Amino acid sequence: MKKSILKFIPFFIMASFLVTGCNQGTKSTSTAAKPAVSTEAKKDQGLVYKGSVKGKSNKAKSISIVVGKGKEAKTVMVKFDDNTKGVENADPGHASIIFYEMRDGQPWATVIKPKLAKLPEGVTEIKTEELQSLIESKADFVLIDARPGKRYAASHLPGAINLGTEEYKAQAADVLPKDKNKLLIMYCGGPT
Amino acid sequence: MSTKVAGSAKKDGYKNVRVYLEGQPAWIKAGSLVYASKGNISKGNIVLIDLRTKEKSEAGRIARSVTIPYETLEDRLEDIPKKAPIVLYSDSAEEAADAVEDLRDEGYKKVALVAGNYAGWLKAGGATVTGPVVTEITWKRILGEGEVGKADFLKAANGTDPNAIILDVRTTDEASEGGFTNAIAVPLDQIGSRLADIPKDRKVYVHCTTGARAEMAAEELNKNGYKAFFLVADVKCEGNDCKIDD
Repeated sequence: MKKSILKFIPFFIMASFLVTGCNQGTKSTSTAAKPAVSTEAKKDQGLVYKGSVKGKSNKAKSISIVVGKGKEAKTVMVKFDDNTKGVENADPGHASIIFYEMRDGQPWATVIKPKLAKLPEGVTEIKTEELQSLIESKADFVLIDARPGKRYAASHLPGAINLGTEEYKAQAADVLPKDKNKLLIMYCGGPT
Repeated sequence: MSTKVAGSAKKDGYKNVRVYLEGQPAWIKAGSLVYASKGNISKGNIVLIDLRTKEKSEAGRIARSVTIPYETLEDRLEDIPKKAPIVLYSDSAEEAADAVEDLRDEGYKKVALVAGNYAGWLKAGGATVTGPVVTEITWKRILGEGEVGKADFLKAANGTDPNAIILDVRTTDEASEGGFTNAIAVPLDQIGSRLADIPKDRKVYVHCTTGARAEMAAEELNKNGYKAFFLVADVKCEGNDCKIDD
């Protein structure tokens, strides 16, 4: 028993690094073994914040971003100006990487990039158009909404069934098809 | 998390696993339809709208429906709260889809359908009612955990509740354009270093311009032993004249 758990630990750790996951629309309660988000990049990139953008005020030209996870999580404010590249990539609810410099003791964004979710090995991405045509043509596949049940209940894609991350272990066997060759398509609330 | 579930399924031996990374927001942005589940239609805090004619609605409709025939939808927009989750049904898939598009164009962000429309509901064995139609919308937003309601917030803002204070966590730039009379202004990013400026012996009602920063500030304060609550509402101030739109 103990052995089998140990066997999976590397997988979980790896998964927690690989997966940046989805916007769950709730506070991050992840306890995954992610490294504390570094506010200082090594090498030559200078200073960087990585995390979920909480708010953006064009009027105040400032972005609030949550860095760190769980109890380590804290919010920092970064200013931006007309020279900041990629301001549009800072989208509330989505993950961003903000490179910044210190001016008068305050962080100013220089370049903002979206932080993209990484797919597990062997899993490919599907885009809106292709999914639309699969649904319209009533193709044979299972569409899975991986968000918490409450969000699924409020609204979900046509024909989707609910199997959240937390429920996977308990419900996967009942919810997923017996045929392992069947196409499964997972979605959630978009990339963080 | 879709990628996590995809990884688990892959590990369980599923060979064809794909992820729609952009997820539901992109789906809605593309103008596609989404559906509410039966439980949410029966019991959720939603505005459920029957788009069919008054006569059809009288003869049988989903319990809790408000009857707004599609032709009259435009005239009733003012009565439909923007922040409410809206669930629509009709007896025509086309009409229901048109109504979704209309409402989204008007700025409604949460518009879902009943799967299969009224016929689908009957087929699913959902509860129905008959008789005179209901036209009045009584929806109220339910306060989430840690929120303060507009009424309580205003009592603190105008000084009639001596047990609570207002904390403004907008940036200095934003706050310079106006704010509540008795508010203490500490920008969100300075909360941690300026706790001494915020009294601990009273409740703290936090606001920003929407509620997002206020929530983070309240969380930070509660970690530090405060009793803080946040206001989820659009706040606009000119001088000491502040408008709260919840």
